[in-house]
Amino acid sequence: MKEILLKTEKLSKSFSNGGFMQHVLKNIDLQLYKGDFTVIMGASGAGKSTLLYALSGMDTPTLGMITFGNKVISDLSQDGLAVFRREHCGFVFQQIYLIDGMSVMDNVLSAGLLVSRDKRALIRRAKELFAAVDIGEETQLKFPAQISGGEAQRVGIVRALINSPEILFADEPTGALNSKTGLDVLDTLTKFNEQGQSVVMVTHDMRSARRGNRILYLKDGVILGECDLGRYSHKDAGRHEKLSEFLQRMGW
Amino acid sequence: MRKSFMIARSNMRKSKGQTAAIIVLILIAALMLNLWLMLSTDYKANFNRYHDKLNAEHVTLSISGNEEEKREFLLQTFEKDNHIAQYCLDNCMHMTGSFPYNGGRMNGWFVFLEKEKALTRLIGKAEIVEEGAFASGVYLPMLYKSDDIVVGETIEISIGSSKVTYTVCGFFNSVMMGSHNCALTELILTEDKYAELEMAGYAPQAALCSVRLKDKSENLNYEALLKSTITERYPDIIMTSNCYDIVTQSRYISQMICSGIMSAMAFFVLLIALVVIISNIINYIQVNMKNLGALKAAGYTSGQLIGALLLQFLGLTMLVAMVGAGLSYCLFPAVNTMMIAQTGIPYEIHFLPIPFVSSLGILGGVVSVAVWYASRRIKKIEPITALRCGVQTHNFKRNYVPFEKTKVPLHFALALKTTLSGMKYNVTVCITMLVLSLVVVFSGLMTENVIMDMTPFLNLIVGETADSCINIQVEMEEDFLEEMDADERVEKAYLYHSLNVSHVDGAELMATLCDDFSKVNNPNVVFEGRFPKYDNEIAIAAKYAKEHGFKVGDEIEITANGKLEKYLICGFTQITNNLGRDCLFTRAGYERLGSLANTSYYINLENGTDIDEFNLEMKEKFEGGVNTTINVVETIEGAAGVYVSLMTIIVIAILVLSAIIIAFVLYLLVRTMLNNKKHDYGIMKALGFTTGQLILQTAMSFMPAIILASFIGLIGCSFIINPLTALFLQGLGIVKCTFKIPIDFIVAAGIGLVVFAFVTVCLLALKIREIAPRALLFGE
Repeated sequence: MKEILLKTEKLSKSFSNGGFMQHVLKNIDLQLYKGDFTVIMGASGAGKSTLLYALSGMDTPTLGMITFGNKVISDLSQDGLAVFRREHCGFVFQQIYLIDGMSVMDNVLSAGLLVSRDKRALIRRAKELFAAVDIGEETQLKFPAQISGGEAQRVGIVRALINSPEILFADEPTGALNSKTGLDVLDTLTKFNEQGQSVVMVTHDMRSARRGNRILYLKDGVILGECDLGRYSHKDAGRHEKLSEFLQRMGW
Repeated sequence: MRKSFMIARSNMRKSKGQTAAIIVLILIAALMLNLWLMLSTDYKANFNRYHDKLNAEHVTLSISGNEEEKREFLLQTFEKDNHIAQYCLDNCMHMTGSFPYNGGRMNGWFVFLEKEKALTRLIGKAEIVEEGAFASGVYLPMLYKSDDIVVGETIEISIGSSKVTYTVCGFFNSVMMGSHNCALTELILTEDKYAELEMAGYAPQAALCSVRLKDKSENLNYEALLKSTITERYPDIIMTSNCYDIVTQSRYISQMICSGIMSAMAFFVLLIALVVIISNIINYIQVNMKNLGALKAAGYTSGQLIGALLLQFLGLTMLVAMVGAGLSYCLFPAVNTMMIAQTGIPYEIHFLPIPFVSSLGILGGVVSVAVWYASRRIKKIEPITALRCGVQTHNFKRNYVPFEKTKVPLHFALALKTTLSGMKYNVTVCITMLVLSLVVVFSGLMTENVIMDMTPFLNLIVGETADSCINIQVEMEEDFLEEMDADERVEKAYLYHSLNVSHVDGAELMATLCDDFSKVNNPNVVFEGRFPKYDNEIAIAAKYAKEHGFKVGDEIEITANGKLEKYLICGFTQITNNLGRDCLFTRAGYERLGSLANTSYYINLENGTDIDEFNLEMKEKFEGGVNTTINVVETIEGAAGVYVSLMTIIVIAILVLSAIIIAFVLYLLVRTMLNNKKHDYGIMKALGFTTGQLILQTAMSFMPAIILASFIGLIGCSFIINPLTALFLQGLGIVKCTFKIPIDFIVAAGIGLVVFAFVTVCLLALKIREIAPRALLFGE
């Protein structure tokens, strides 16, 4: 029996657009499980990123409830959500979003020091993570503008994992990268998931989606279907076909 | 031009908030600049206009006695003198006196004139500015119009040792004798009251001589020459006089101080506006590097891009400056009322084109230079580089306060990173705080030395003060001093007597004699060298010494009573009473030139002693021997009340203006910072930073510059404020100021400035609440 990490009940999100209400998410009931690599797919405008940001406490739902463990997070204030995010979540963004004025190491430590006061342990963990994503010491001292996009996204992953979050949210993490560096980033996420890290990733890229064990397909603000791909293995030749078939069924 | 105009319009639309803040700063600067120029140029001109209108005198003398022989001598003297363009000689009454004024008493030499004569004199006629329907009473100079002295009320005037009560019939303007600090004060009586006073004999008859010179600039020297001529012939007469230079300065001290402060404030505001504009342009270039590159790539020249900025800021400045200078006319009536209360000369507000155009010219000129200075780096932008690099808002050369190494807590470290990487913010903050520190220290200085306790200000402006001043006949001096020794109420009594001497080939000097200068209350009168000790020594005014190239140790020739003696200069004084033309002698020193017929003694009384009662007692005890008694405290309080209220208004205005300026500058900086860091704050919020933490970080990032600049500014300004004030007052003959620095006030003001700035930044940074991490979703 999988342990539920986060669940939603009747989750809805609407935006006002020029006086008209745009209902982006509609009554979504969803459970996310510990240790899963959940992938949210769907066409552009389906509400993938909105769902991700609502699940992660980055945005508040219009209606419905989101529960993390036993704690309802949908009722939290902005500051309450900020504390929830820093203590339980890690984020990897499509646009990477490192802070330009800080070195690579400081970008990571700025997130870490927000939660932990044990700086030594934090630096040790940062260095382990940097080693794991193949970011050398020299690069750690550079500024974001001085490193490549692939390196920057790997730094983004290190920053997201520095506080050992229960869930890592990734919003199109390879979207701004070329094929090779995108692959490196996916390998990194897969590696951490194999080590037990729960990951929720939004993508519209099949190559990226293949890394997940659970695929959710979102269309017009509702989850149209889901597919269990099992744990990722690069030798699993049937995985691609299974995903393709699922997506075809969903109207991809 | 059209392209530049389009870019300028687009720039202004994009930065409405910053444009609004610059508008406010320029508006205040233009308002104050125009007010200052109007005050400093037209008030003096207004004096001259009235001087011409009333055909006022350049030298006025009131001479006791109006015997035919004396009149004949005076007429012959004037007829023969080729300096004189016009003169007139009238009968008047002349006596020391006082009346209640401004919570104290106005003391002085009163010249009583009959109304008809006063209004029709050939030279120096008075004009009625307010009049009730009262046929019998007194007309006072309009300077004395106050809450207590109004038309229709009665006023008790002491004349010598007698008292008379008159109805105030009205107020008049007399250019040369309408003030309390011009040696003579004219009082106009209706025909019946004049006759009554003549009959009563409280004030002796006198001759009032009014002289207009061919060359106005000779007035000071001519006054000395004339007095010397008359004294030679009549050594024992009482003579009181004033001249054009002394009167203009005396009547316009407050206006000079006020316009000086206003000019300083105007330039401070302008300086801050310039710093803000420069910082704004530098920031604009950094943020719009890519756009500027694109415009250059599209064919715009650097000149057009700089021209657009120049058009934007210069156009804005000129428009706002016109409004600001226009608005100054709304504030002018209030300032004018304040000034008229100080000068006692009517002033009709009218449009002054020269100050108006000058204000626009000054603002336009300095803003153009500032825009050119800040925008010239546009020339260095190459289209390709700009397009490739895009926005470069950070200095990548150094990672300030690396978390790995620093022991500073996270939020302090983040604030420090912002501080150290934002030097232009720091420079703006530092300049603002340094300027405001100077303003705050000046306010503190004025509060401590003028508003709370006026003694230091009086010591500087007046020189020596005491509780009572009694003038006695020399024959009674020994008995008087014995009485002073015996009286337990008397703390000390010392000779402090003023009369006139002349520097050979120079000007007339007001000489003050003292039997023992160690007794004086204000030892700072001599600021270099020392007081005279021996009969061959003299201390002279520093201003006069500088004009004539005298140094301590030099010899100076002094003449009086037809005698000439050489004295050794032992020190320099600074007293503003006589345009800085004064000197100090020991009694023995003066007696080399002549003997004294009467002597004035300054007396310090024990706390709680009734000064008036004491004076009256002495007058009765030495009946006939005491010429005049003056309650110095009351006299000073009367005159000082006006300065205190003026200074209180100035200090409050300065502090309020400082608060507004600091709030505006911080508003601009915080707004710019939030715009530049909006993205970073979004990321940080996504990572789990709360709004409160980010507000605190923002506020703390300004604190190092604010605290450092305030600390350095307040300490530095505390050291330079006295020399600066002396520089400011040098026209009055002040060389060295020794005002007490109010440490408590400065410490409190420093803490207040920092707390005010911190709270202001926190409030302004509340906008961070609006930054949502969700915005990252949309790539904002």
